[in-house]
Amino acid sequence: MSYEAQRHLECHPEYRPESHPRGERTERHYQGNPQKNSPSLGATLAFLGMNGMLALLHGSQGCSTFIRLQLSRHFKEPIPLNSTAMTEENLVFGGWEQLQKGITQAVEKFHPEIVGVMSSGLSETMGEDMAAALRTWRRDRPELAGVPVVTVSTPDYIGSMQEGYRLAVTALLASLRPKEPEKGTGTERVETESPASELVQLKLNEPTPEIRDQGCRKSEIRGQSKCTFRSEPGNQSECTLTSAFSRKTALVPDVILLPGCHLTPADVEELKETVSLFGLQPLVLPDLSTSLDGHLESEPSAVVQGGTTLSHLKRLPQAVAVFSFGLSLVQPGDYLRDTYGVPHYPIPSLTGLEATDRFLLALASFSGQPVPEPLLRQRSRLLDTMADYHDRLAGLRVALALESDLLYSLSLALAETGAEISLALAATPEGRKNFPATIPFRVGDLEDLEDLDNLGELAHPATPGKSFNLIIANSNGRQAAKILQCPHLRAGLPVFDRAGYPQKLWTGYRGSQNFLFDVLNTMSG
Amino acid sequence: MSNPITDAAHLIHGPIACAGNSWDNRGALSTGSQLYRRGFTTDLGENDVVYGGEEKLYQAILEISAKHRPQAIFVYSTCVSALIGDDLAGVCARAQKKVSLPVIPVDAPGFLGDKNIGNRIAGETLWQRVIGSKNAGAPKIPRSINLIGEYNIAGDLGGILPDLTKLGIKLQTAITGDARYADLTQAHRAALNVLVCSKSLTNLACSLQQQWQTPYIEASFYGIEDTSQALRNIARGLGDRGLSGRTEEYIRRQEKETRQAIAPYRERLQGKRAVLFTGGVKTWSMVSALTELGITILAGGTQNSTPADFERMKARLDPAARIIEDTSAVGFLTLIREKKPDLLVAGGKIKYLAHKMRLPFLDINHGRKRPYAGYPGMITLAEAIARTVFSPVWDLSRRPYPPARGGEGGNENVV
Repeated sequence: MSYEAQRHLECHPEYRPESHPRGERTERHYQGNPQKNSPSLGATLAFLGMNGMLALLHGSQGCSTFIRLQLSRHFKEPIPLNSTAMTEENLVFGGWEQLQKGITQAVEKFHPEIVGVMSSGLSETMGEDMAAALRTWRRDRPELAGVPVVTVSTPDYIGSMQEGYRLAVTALLASLRPKEPEKGTGTERVETESPASELVQLKLNEPTPEIRDQGCRKSEIRGQSKCTFRSEPGNQSECTLTSAFSRKTALVPDVILLPGCHLTPADVEELKETVSLFGLQPLVLPDLSTSLDGHLESEPSAVVQGGTTLSHLKRLPQAVAVFSFGLSLVQPGDYLRDTYGVPHYPIPSLTGLEATDRFLLALASFSGQPVPEPLLRQRSRLLDTMADYHDRLAGLRVALALESDLLYSLSLALAETGAEISLALAATPEGRKNFPATIPFRVGDLEDLEDLDNLGELAHPATPGKSFNLIIANSNGRQAAKILQCPHLRAGLPVFDRAGYPQKLWTGYRGSQNFLFDVLNTMSG
Repeated sequence: MSNPITDAAHLIHGPIACAGNSWDNRGALSTGSQLYRRGFTTDLGENDVVYGGEEKLYQAILEISAKHRPQAIFVYSTCVSALIGDDLAGVCARAQKKVSLPVIPVDAPGFLGDKNIGNRIAGETLWQRVIGSKNAGAPKIPRSINLIGEYNIAGDLGGILPDLTKLGIKLQTAITGDARYADLTQAHRAALNVLVCSKSLTNLACSLQQQWQTPYIEASFYGIEDTSQALRNIARGLGDRGLSGRTEEYIRRQEKETRQAIAPYRERLQGKRAVLFTGGVKTWSMVSALTELGITILAGGTQNSTPADFERMKARLDPAARIIEDTSAVGFLTLIREKKPDLLVAGGKIKYLAHKMRLPFLDINHGRKRPYAGYPGMITLAEAIARTVFSPVWDLSRRPYPPARGGEGGNENVV
């Protein structure tokens, strides 16, 4: 066979895994084609939404290289992540010095506004006490006292991207804490500013006169409308508009948005715009919409450019409300509520008609503003699409393999159109309890997609044979999709073989409509 | 380095960060099995770290063997598995008895250092455990070679193999691009080893020479002259006069055809200035390829290259060209600003950095999508360089917008 002919085989792989006899499935002790990402990757992603951040991974060279490559091929962006590059010597004598040296060098060379240090499987297994290392570093380097350092413990053997991301967001919030750091955590306090300087800053940062006007209108309605908002699911927090607004004197009230790691830069941008339409000033943590949105203007640097500024971060405790997006971020939202008394509204999903409805109604009742006309128009378009394609959508049998927040959003958005969810395959057990009983939920890897289909375990009683006709998974799902000859819509992270997906809008009425279009077009081949 | 062995399963014994972030991310292609592209990991969890991961590993090897029917299983240690003291070699030996196929431990935890060390360890593992494990006493195969350090990135072998085949040279195996395990076990039967990637596998070549009396030569397949020289040296190394004669004839024909094909590109690229920032054999071999396209090298730098590679590059560079010493991002940016090149040739890591600087960029490492090796590779390379250098996007992105009154000014860009 000629070499060319052999290369032709690439498109027709002879390799097929041995399928088990039908009905027999053995337990596995390995992950085959894992869909999990590492927690330190998630933490890196969160840090990439902080302006002036120098992200430093305390581990061996490979730990950071692989994260950089993974995020870089996903976002098509340079990823400023540094490494302490631990060696065998550090293993024997401890990595303190390496860490301290790393921070010092990075601070002196790159002048970051804030430093974020993550641990790795290596440093955690060694039992590195990063907090203690940081304390002695502070003592030894008083001249660098002005630079806040946030540490987050992200052992690679616990959780996935979502968990690491949450830990980093929580660590950033914990750095605002007014009391001294607890023993065992190295997260230092970022000095919050006095209300006076906050007001000055508010004026400086006001985005547009219109929004300011809307903010004023809001103060007028104070005390007039009284409404309650029930957050969901289960986690009920009630708050009256009056009390929320009378806490603050600012013209445009700050509202904290905590977007989950499943939201793209475009999603975060849409979220900010939506909140602004209601006359609220969004404070986003972390804000990928200005750091990883793929713009050509920035000059490459070793620190993050764009994202949440340190001054915005410091303003968080004074905000009137916090909205968390994705169930994995309920915890940091609750942290803000418990520590600063900021009312917390968890929004589990932003994709789909009903999910978006709920969020906008919450904003409307919270702000006392009606749902703005442009959004109603978008809603009507989404409904029109759902009607135009309802027959095709209802014929879908979908297998989704994603991290649980995105899995939840997309599964429910599809179920809402009448599509059947054959399988919701989560990367980690987190979020299991939130799934409705009608959706078959499992935890597994991408090899499970092949197995479950081969086994016929998921086959629909009415339509025996193929158990699903669409796969929604990250790019790594391509192997399973090819073997099963099943259309494959890319979602999640990493997506490296489709243009624009990582910067695409998936949320709100517009994003939901796009999502349905993508689903339909993927089915058309 | 072992991953391109296509019909083997590659199992990473470590937590998710080690495999989860990186599986199936290389451009090494296969003409046969796709098994090597699967990501297998024991995905060590908290309990495994506390109680040890040996049993999990043992079971995983058994399960993978039963389900995926690999020709061999390579098991890689990681920082965490090394630190918790899992006996990788012991588990592999125990599992091998049970599964009746080679289970090969590769002990290369990340804290040992950079990619070169990993390459060397993989090379040693192949020498100790794989090469010569079948037909140890069998005679050499006449006119056969191994290509050591050729990974078939983007199908590079497709640019080399037809030449070899036409000349009657048999490729026993590449180590390890598009390699089959069975071919590797008989790699000792090749008459000549051709070392194509840097020095990190020199040890392997030396070991093979000592143990199996296989001579080795160094070669590069990037650029017309290097490819010709490589073929010439292979013919000479195989000690076949007839072959040498045929090779000269073949080279003449190929060179002529290739030069004709790249002439239009050369004409357009003449005088363009490039900065080269790469690693391994490409440090020096790309210098020739670029020079053949009429491109001037302003500066060259190295990552993961051995001192010997570095010296070699220096020898090939114009004396006026600068050697990049500060390889950090900052040093790199300073250099770009100072030199203002028309083209940057580097690994994928720098790709998006280059784009931010509105700089034409050629990816030369594992992530690339096109084969650049051999004579056809040279044409592909010329096309690729022309596409990036003459892309309209650079001019568009340098144009100030909105245009300033009076014509000049506006947001001047970084380069």
